[in-house]
Amino acid sequence: MSIVLPLDEDQRDALQELLNISMGQAANSLAQLIETKIDISIPKISTVTPDELYGLLFETKDAFYTRQSFLGDIHGEVMSVLSQSGLAEVAKLMDYEEPLTKEDIQEIILELCNILAGACLAGLSDQLELTTNLNMPTLFQPEKSNFSDLQWQHTLVMEVQFIIAISSFSMRVVFCLDDESLIRMKDTLDELLG
Amino acid sequence: MFEQLVSKLPVGIGIVDEAFNVVYLNDFFLDRLPHELRKDYKEQPVTELFKGQGKFLKRRLKSVFVLQHPSFSYWEQRPHIFPFKSSRPITGEETQMYQNMEIIPIKDNTSDKKLACIFLQDVTAQASYFRAQQKLSQALKKEHAEQRKLIRKLDTAQSQLIQAEKMASTGQLAAGIAHEINNPIGFVTANLDTLSQYASHLLAICDGVESQITHFTEEMREQVQSLYESNHYAMLKDDITELIDESSEGLSRVRDIVENLKNFSLETADGYQNIEVCSVAKQLITLISAQYAKPEYKFECAKEKLEVIGDPGTLKQALMNVMVNAAQAIEDKGFIKLSIIENDNDIAFKILDSGCGIAEQNLKRIFEPFFTTKPEGQGQGLGLSVAYTAIEKHQGKVSISSKEGKGTVVQITIPKSPPQSSSTDNSEPAAEAF
Repeated sequence: MSIVLPLDEDQRDALQELLNISMGQAANSLAQLIETKIDISIPKISTVTPDELYGLLFETKDAFYTRQSFLGDIHGEVMSVLSQSGLAEVAKLMDYEEPLTKEDIQEIILELCNILAGACLAGLSDQLELTTNLNMPTLFQPEKSNFSDLQWQHTLVMEVQFIIAISSFSMRVVFCLDDESLIRMKDTLDELLG
Repeated sequence: MFEQLVSKLPVGIGIVDEAFNVVYLNDFFLDRLPHELRKDYKEQPVTELFKGQGKFLKRRLKSVFVLQHPSFSYWEQRPHIFPFKSSRPITGEETQMYQNMEIIPIKDNTSDKKLACIFLQDVTAQASYFRAQQKLSQALKKEHAEQRKLIRKLDTAQSQLIQAEKMASTGQLAAGIAHEINNPIGFVTANLDTLSQYASHLLAICDGVESQITHFTEEMREQVQSLYESNHYAMLKDDITELIDESSEGLSRVRDIVENLKNFSLETADGYQNIEVCSVAKQLITLISAQYAKPEYKFECAKEKLEVIGDPGTLKQALMNVMVNAAQAIEDKGFIKLSIIENDNDIAFKILDSGCGIAEQNLKRIFEPFFTTKPEGQGQGLGLSVAYTAIEKHQGKVSISSKEGKGTVVQITIPKSPPQSSSTDNSEPAAEAF
């Protein structure tokens, strides 16, 4: 089992900058689609253990969770945490009619995650000049999965929060990369840094 | 070659332009289109071609064109986007095709125009398998819940049976003891009568001597008088009658209690019979007051005699348990009033006490087996549940209202005539706690 080498300061700065740009693009895409203003937090980059990742997911109370894997030049998973509050307003913006059925809510969650995670990943891959393909998202119940049995010890996490200004809705997108992809990304960052 | 391949692929492939007009459909789509549409589907908006989910398709296509990012839809949330029949029209159980859809952004190589490609997968087999499994697991869950309920019911029945058996053997024991006590009571009573007569004779003798005392010699008089004084004759004479009267009164009370105990517990006959409830109630009060002396007992009944048809053993047990609870609720001073009210079709027993009352959160649970507020080891929590079952068996009703610190009223209503069938399995218990 290899241990993730932490990013050096230059790599971290570069990745931070790239994330700022790509997340901004993602927010713009969503804003364009649902015609409303979207705020984003400054993306956070950190190295976490499985337990820390578990804690990270549960920072939002009463949330929906999805996961979605991506393949290509880099491999990994995107987990999204959506607040339950404010979802009805977002549904309205997305042209859903009330009352929302359970299936409607699931569909909205999956679609929102797909849009945001897709836009974030596309932005990041663009900046890094890597190709990635996102698979279909699925609903996820982290409280039912056993995080202590996972096959890795540390992973790089990139986290960003989107807030829809007119409602109480918020959503966090958490990117995790596998070890091999991390090495690859570090090389790419070094190339960019020249 | 590729065009052939694409057209024959076992998934639906459709390509639309930015105006949502159809550019291409592969055989999967074409085979399922209505005949009249097969010729001129091109350049038609896909949302017109498949109207049912037009709005949804439009939304998703728009998202793909705007974001240039794939969009997914699953059968679980939206099973039938395109109105296609299942692939097995004859033998299949599903009549409509379950579909997963993916829309991906592509570009025309020559014109560089933005296009969207719709992939459609037939997942009817998966979906119906999944749904069958879900149904099965639901059925299992339901069955499991029912079994647990049944086990709980069995547990309750068993514990009540144990309790009933215990009560029955206690009752038999009590009846046996009562019978044994009756004999000594008989001769003690007879002896006491004789003793009373003898005492009056003795007193008469002494009084006679006293009245003749003036005729005695000085010496004799002094001797007799000192004899009287040393034996406290004056006090003895006052007390002896009272003592004997009290004793015979006490004895008659013992006889009453024993008699009641015998009547109350000696239920040899099983099944339904006429029960005279007034005397049952009176017996009950005598019995309970012997054990719980603190409360003041009141009895009220408009008629001298009132009859119901029921099972005397269980009915008496039910009344007894409720009355004992009332008696135990009174710590120091208070009263218990048992009223019997006759209605057209039923008879109501109203047991009112001025005891400590029942806390609101406990009211809902008092009929649960093993529910008790008494300290561990002092109560099994079966009394009211046994009463409840007995009342239920008689197709009666029981209701309780209580105020903490003020008291409790329990009303038991029993139909006068026997229930039409002895099985009450299907009827839900009619208890209400308010």
